[in-house]
Amino acid sequence: METLLFIAVMLPLGAAFVGFLVPASRPQWMRALALAATGVSLALTLVLFWQFDRQEAGYQFVFDLPWVPALNLSLKFGVDGISMTLLLLVSIVSFCGVLISHEIHERQKEYYILFLALTTGISGTFCTMDLFFFYFFYELAVIPMYLLIGVWGSLPPGRHGRTREYATMKLTLYLTAGAVLALVGLLTLYYAGGRTFDMVELMANLRLSEDRQWWVFACLLFGFGFLASLFPFHTWSPLGYAAAPTAASMMHAGVLKKLGAYGIIRLALPLMPEGARAWMDLLAVLCIFNILYAGWAALTQRDWKFVIGYSSVSHMGYVLLGIATLNVIGVSGAVLLMFAHGVMAALTFSLIGWFYHQAHTRDVFELRGLARQMPFIGTCMVMAAMASSGLPGFANFASELMVFLGAWQQGSTVFRIATVCAVWGIVVTATYLLWAVRSSFFGPLDERWKALSDARLAGHRLPYVLLIVVLLVVGFWPRTLTDIIQPTVKHAILREPVAMAQVDQR
Amino acid sequence: MNWYAIQLECLLAILAVVVLLTDAFRPVRDARRIGLILSALVGLTLLYSFTMQPLGEAVFQGMYRLDTLALFFKRLFLLATAFVLLMSAEFVERIEAGRVEFYVLLLLCATGMLVLASANDFILMFVALELVTICFFVLTSYLRRQVPSLEAGTKYLILGALSSGLTVYGIAYLLGITGTANFEKLRAVLTEAPVGEATGLWFGMVLVLAGLGFKIASVPFQVWAPDVYQGAPTPVTAMLAVGSKAAGFVLLMRVLMTGLLPLEPVWGPVVLGLAGASLVYGNLGALPQRDIKRLLGYSSIGHAGYVLMGVAAVNALGVAAVLFYHGQYAFTTLCAFLAIVAVTRVTGRDDIASFAGLHRRAPILGLALFLAMMSLAGVPPLSGFFGKFQLFAAVIDRAQMDARYYWLAGIGAAAVVVSLYFYLNVGRAIYMQSSDRTDAIPVSWPVRVGLWICMGAMIGLGVYQRPLVDAALQAARVFGLE
Repeated sequence: METLLFIAVMLPLGAAFVGFLVPASRPQWMRALALAATGVSLALTLVLFWQFDRQEAGYQFVFDLPWVPALNLSLKFGVDGISMTLLLLVSIVSFCGVLISHEIHERQKEYYILFLALTTGISGTFCTMDLFFFYFFYELAVIPMYLLIGVWGSLPPGRHGRTREYATMKLTLYLTAGAVLALVGLLTLYYAGGRTFDMVELMANLRLSEDRQWWVFACLLFGFGFLASLFPFHTWSPLGYAAAPTAASMMHAGVLKKLGAYGIIRLALPLMPEGARAWMDLLAVLCIFNILYAGWAALTQRDWKFVIGYSSVSHMGYVLLGIATLNVIGVSGAVLLMFAHGVMAALTFSLIGWFYHQAHTRDVFELRGLARQMPFIGTCMVMAAMASSGLPGFANFASELMVFLGAWQQGSTVFRIATVCAVWGIVVTATYLLWAVRSSFFGPLDERWKALSDARLAGHRLPYVLLIVVLLVVGFWPRTLTDIIQPTVKHAILREPVAMAQVDQR
Repeated sequence: MNWYAIQLECLLAILAVVVLLTDAFRPVRDARRIGLILSALVGLTLLYSFTMQPLGEAVFQGMYRLDTLALFFKRLFLLATAFVLLMSAEFVERIEAGRVEFYVLLLLCATGMLVLASANDFILMFVALELVTICFFVLTSYLRRQVPSLEAGTKYLILGALSSGLTVYGIAYLLGITGTANFEKLRAVLTEAPVGEATGLWFGMVLVLAGLGFKIASVPFQVWAPDVYQGAPTPVTAMLAVGSKAAGFVLLMRVLMTGLLPLEPVWGPVVLGLAGASLVYGNLGALPQRDIKRLLGYSSIGHAGYVLMGVAAVNALGVAAVLFYHGQYAFTTLCAFLAIVAVTRVTGRDDIASFAGLHRRAPILGLALFLAMMSLAGVPPLSGFFGKFQLFAAVIDRAQMDARYYWLAGIGAAAVVVSLYFYLNVGRAIYMQSSDRTDAIPVSWPVRVGLWICMGAMIGLGVYQRPLVDAALQAARVFGLE
């Protein structure tokens, strides 16, 4: 089982290296290789998910390989409820991302190599138990993203007045700025925890005085906050998504962004509880800005990708609000929302990719009546919009509800206000999404769009169907995931002592 | 005479003399081939050096040390020389006269560096330093019909002579006050005597630091670097960036951490400040540059700042980080310059715009240059990342006791972000911009081999850091720091 986890994480990177050997004149081989690697990786993840012990709060399937013993570094993988959920998300989205990449015709070999490296970068960050490799894998994801956007991306001219080269540079610099800020905090943890990068040992040994916790927590919170597009560090995000090729947008909005929230949950909360309490009110206030300001910004956009880009910034506000509650239901809700939003964002971006690839425009007003030409895509888009607005039946509903309950339960005035704003944010979300869907997909069909075609081949439909099915399954039966998330959040993240009732249940 | 300790130096010197005499009696027609042969011979010497064992005691009346640290740097210099000779073989057709002498000067320069790695005495240090510097005076102005090269040579000459003067003046002060030029004896004298009394001691120390600061191109002795890097023949620039800089650092560490260690409270904050200033100056200065060699000149000031972070930390991890950094920096920088030499051979231009669309004209050169830039920026899985990681770790280790070091770490972190911008700009030219010229750039097989070695080392050391980390930690034990 341990080896299975290792393979599931490293297989895409291995395939990327094998990819160098594939002749550039055979792009279909490269695509098959990428499909196989992410497909097998997804299958292995499902096996792991099946085998996962739902009663256990700690790490499972621990794989340990000493790497640089002199510095106490080891290549250590392991999953608990949170990372299992997110590993599942990466595998699903990366598999769908490769499926959707049939629209790429130029320099395919390099494209898939970078995409595979990106996949391992993200899944490695979610699964590693060593702080050094956490940072290593995270940074590993940044440069493939830079090239994917810069070389294969497209950014139609608009009010923003930017080029895709600008967008990708901005994204890379912001992500790196956040990363180095977090690095200073991580290295301080290394020394304070007795020179170890091992998360389990750190959890046991870390001794930090209260004022140190205060600023180290700030380093991690804002460092990872850059990545999680926390207001006011979010400006790279809509621009970056708008410029990225479809699969890169899916990966970035779907999973890479979640790394920031994951870092806060995994490292900052359990290691520095005192620091966490000191900063949570400010975080809640920033979340209000995230939710409402980004939602309002989404209302004013004309480009579909900008709408969804701002929408995803707004949704990260809910995730961060869930984290800020510091109670089991809120943080669990945040983790579940990370999953739900990841799937939903991937779905939306992949749908946009479908019509943008043919129509060469993403302008909400220019596109009209697309649902007549492409009923399947239209239906999927309506479902995505409903999921995004948090309608019951989709995974987003359950998770957002948990976040609201957690925030209200937290009880302080700031959080009460934040809860009210967040609920209001749902209305804003529904407004811009329904408006965008109505303008582009309904109404009279424009002559120009007569030539557009629907997704008819099973292979083309598969990624959309897969993503929707995941959303519905988790929506109707959230316990598939909450059952594994909650024990971990309770005992490993918030570190509540094991109650008697819990012991009895076992 | 202890020949064992100086066999590598003797080999290089003999090689240089043999080449010089051969050329005098039977003039060489194919200078390129001679360069490749010399490169291979130096490479063999490098392999041979791995059979050598360190000597426990200093030899030649305590002037010369062959410890693990010396061996580490000797190997580094041999590696750099082999690659620079390879580069020179590609470059030599652009030199009008004195092609073989170009190689000879490089070999003599390398000999001086090998001696420097072992210097345990101010007098020997100064002599070896002069051997290196005087060779560079000639080498930087080798393209004597090109104004930038002459400018580079003049600047290097004036500032180099000034810094040599300062160094020798400082040495005289230290020697006069303490009565010894030997690093270990100096340390013993300083440990016994009360430190605070002798102002002349500080004065001498500052002057010696100034001379070494010139070698490593740290603030405030950095102004020569961009001009000289830009104007000098590219192989010479590479030698300056890899060899001369590393030589400066090994001396700096020997002087500060052996001889002047008791004065750490005095020089510690100075090095701290210089590191921060170099980081800021180098990285901000590189932002507006259009010429790739000038960009690398500024970036080398920035890298001096990073490495000084490790020196400023004054702990075993810091020294090991400095060594690791130099080990990987050699491969990275040589990779960059090798690719630049191969491109400019065809295009004849150094500006970044002329690298547009390089990935189509010569995929391997584009990839190599891009990877080198990313490694300089410190992005995994390339070796530069781990080098920076260790330096930061060392500084934050020290910061646990002295919170000022957090400021240095903060400046370093900001510098990483800034530097990513100008390194990515080179990457942008290579991969995202297209040029009107699309004809392929030919790449000769020796260059190909060299590039593959460098890229393999960058990725290899970036992913599997253990061999170099262990070697660096072992060599760092020489100083007996914690």
